[in-house]
Amino acid sequence: MSIRCADLAKVYEGGKSGWPALRGVSFEIKTGEFVAVTGPSGCGKSTLLNIIGLLDEPSGGKYEFNGRNVVSMTDQERSEARLGQIGFVFQSFHLLNRMSSLENVCLPLLYAGIDSREMKVRASSLLHKVGLKGKERKTPLELSGGERQRVAIARALANSPRLILADEPTGNLDTASSREIVDLLFGLNAEGITVVMVTHDKEIAARAGRNIKLRDGRLEE
Amino acid sequence: MRAIANAIKTGFAEIWAHKMRSVLSFLAIAAGSVVFIDAFSAIFATYARLEQQKTTSGMARLKVTQNYSQTYSSPDDYVPPPVITYDDVIKLREKMPDFFMVSPEVKDWHNVLEYEGRRMVTNITGVSHEWVKRDFVYKLRGRFIDQHDVDNKLRVCVMVRKSAPPPTNIFFKSMMKKWNFTGGFDTLVGHNDLLGKTVKLDGFTFTVIGMLEELPFSKRPHTILGSNQDYKVLAPVTTLTHHNIIGSYQSLDVNIDTGDERGFDEAQRKIKNFLKIRFGDDEFFVIENQLELIKERIGDSIKSSLVTISLGMLAFLAGGIGIMNVTLATVFARTKEIGIRRAIGASRGDIMLQFIVEAVMLGLIGGVLGSAIGYLWGIPIKVMVGMDPSQIKPWMPLVSVFIAVLTAFIFAIYPAWVAAGLKPADALRAE
Repeated sequence: MSIRCADLAKVYEGGKSGWPALRGVSFEIKTGEFVAVTGPSGCGKSTLLNIIGLLDEPSGGKYEFNGRNVVSMTDQERSEARLGQIGFVFQSFHLLNRMSSLENVCLPLLYAGIDSREMKVRASSLLHKVGLKGKERKTPLELSGGERQRVAIARALANSPRLILADEPTGNLDTASSREIVDLLFGLNAEGITVVMVTHDKEIAARAGRNIKLRDGRLEE
Repeated sequence: MRAIANAIKTGFAEIWAHKMRSVLSFLAIAAGSVVFIDAFSAIFATYARLEQQKTTSGMARLKVTQNYSQTYSSPDDYVPPPVITYDDVIKLREKMPDFFMVSPEVKDWHNVLEYEGRRMVTNITGVSHEWVKRDFVYKLRGRFIDQHDVDNKLRVCVMVRKSAPPPTNIFFKSMMKKWNFTGGFDTLVGHNDLLGKTVKLDGFTFTVIGMLEELPFSKRPHTILGSNQDYKVLAPVTTLTHHNIIGSYQSLDVNIDTGDERGFDEAQRKIKNFLKIRFGDDEFFVIENQLELIKERIGDSIKSSLVTISLGMLAFLAGGIGIMNVTLATVFARTKEIGIRRAIGASRGDIMLQFIVEAVMLGLIGGVLGSAIGYLWGIPIKVMVGMDPSQIKPWMPLVSVFIAVLTAFIFAIYPAWVAAGLKPADALRAE
């Protein structure tokens, strides 16, 4: 698991010359690291995370994911990488509300083509792992914010990824739930999963092994 | 396979979650199905009828009639034109033994029929034993006039008993009742079994040897040229001319079936030649080419079928556009969901499949519903309101469902492609 960015730039379309979100960011993330990406609102944190997670393409610079330049990857290859190697956790959970928590966790397994019986076993064991035993049939709307985020984490873990990307996972949670979620993420990191987390919370950032500070689309170290 | 199963499951949830939208869109497709089934059964009925008409009426038909449009420069020039007699018909028959039918026919109006002291005005048609060969839409009781009757000028006759009028709606039926179209003759044969009885025709005693009972409209074989001639009493043409019931000045019409379309033109020429030799001039008579007429009718049927089919297709097109509209709306309403699915690893193909499967399900539901409605409309409802039931073949609903599904599939490709083309990051940002 390696992430290497060199002079990464992203310009959003709009206006005459577009709106630059990233203006030349270079860094490297190694396997097993816990990286907190911090910075004020609108400094490009989420954009950076989207690019790392292959949800978006950089408009300049070079990004190597596992030694491979992402520009040369096809959409299918990116989808497969997201499916098997990357897990996302979002601030607003991004669960499908009409499905049960079990079905939400099953979704990545389904796209991975896992057999349906094994899928259910794996999904419920993941829900067990994040502390949601007995809530498999509940839909996200019947769960508290913290519980929803746990479902999201279980879903992110479904295909045993080696990288978790968390975009302000505690942004919508109260202090107690936040602590639990962060503990969960640190626990995963301890198991060897690389975690990159965008956060506003200085306390959490301080716990991370490494901080990447962004300001106006540039690194501030 | 699993991906499809999942897409079906999601599709069901999605259709259920947006009932109104889904109902509207599959109703559009259902309407297409109904029109399609109706159109196809109409076409089938038309073709079935045509086939039946061909076997009942024959194709290679000619009719020789007197030329009424002959002009004369002055009244002094007028010479009564020659008439075709039964002797001419016999000669013609001798010359053309291969013809399927050479049937003379002559009608007289205002004849007096007397039975058990009751008198009524009727009409009499003089025919030969060949009359039954074509356009026979009756059930015969007793026997028909045979060659023996014709050759010996026997005083025998056959009577026609009308069936109930064709099924029409209630309004029309009450009109029929009010105006009472059935005359004295129909009442007479309707209420008395005349078979074997004797009647008087214009004062001559005739024996009723047969009854022609018209089959009910739906069971009656159809004729191409129309059997709307009002036959009441049929008798040997020779008997009628012998007793002067038919005047000797009346020319016989000759209905001919040459039996084969291939030799038709040749046969026509031969008849013309025969008339020329026999009467000195072929201008006295007209040979109506009924094959042309029949072909025209068939052509018209094909044209109207094409119109009907295109109507059905247009209905499907409208349904397809409805599906496309709904699918596009669904794509925009679920942009965020598309983003989520993409983020957790769904490929473009997975997303496309999702939307296509949903649209196809709408098409399937619409097709099945439409076929059911089409069937209900085509048979029980039509019968209830007094219309002819549609000829729905078992494959028609199947084809209709298939076309509904195909239409949905085709019209879902574009919206699905739009959905698959959304950038994951952009889609996730959507609200």
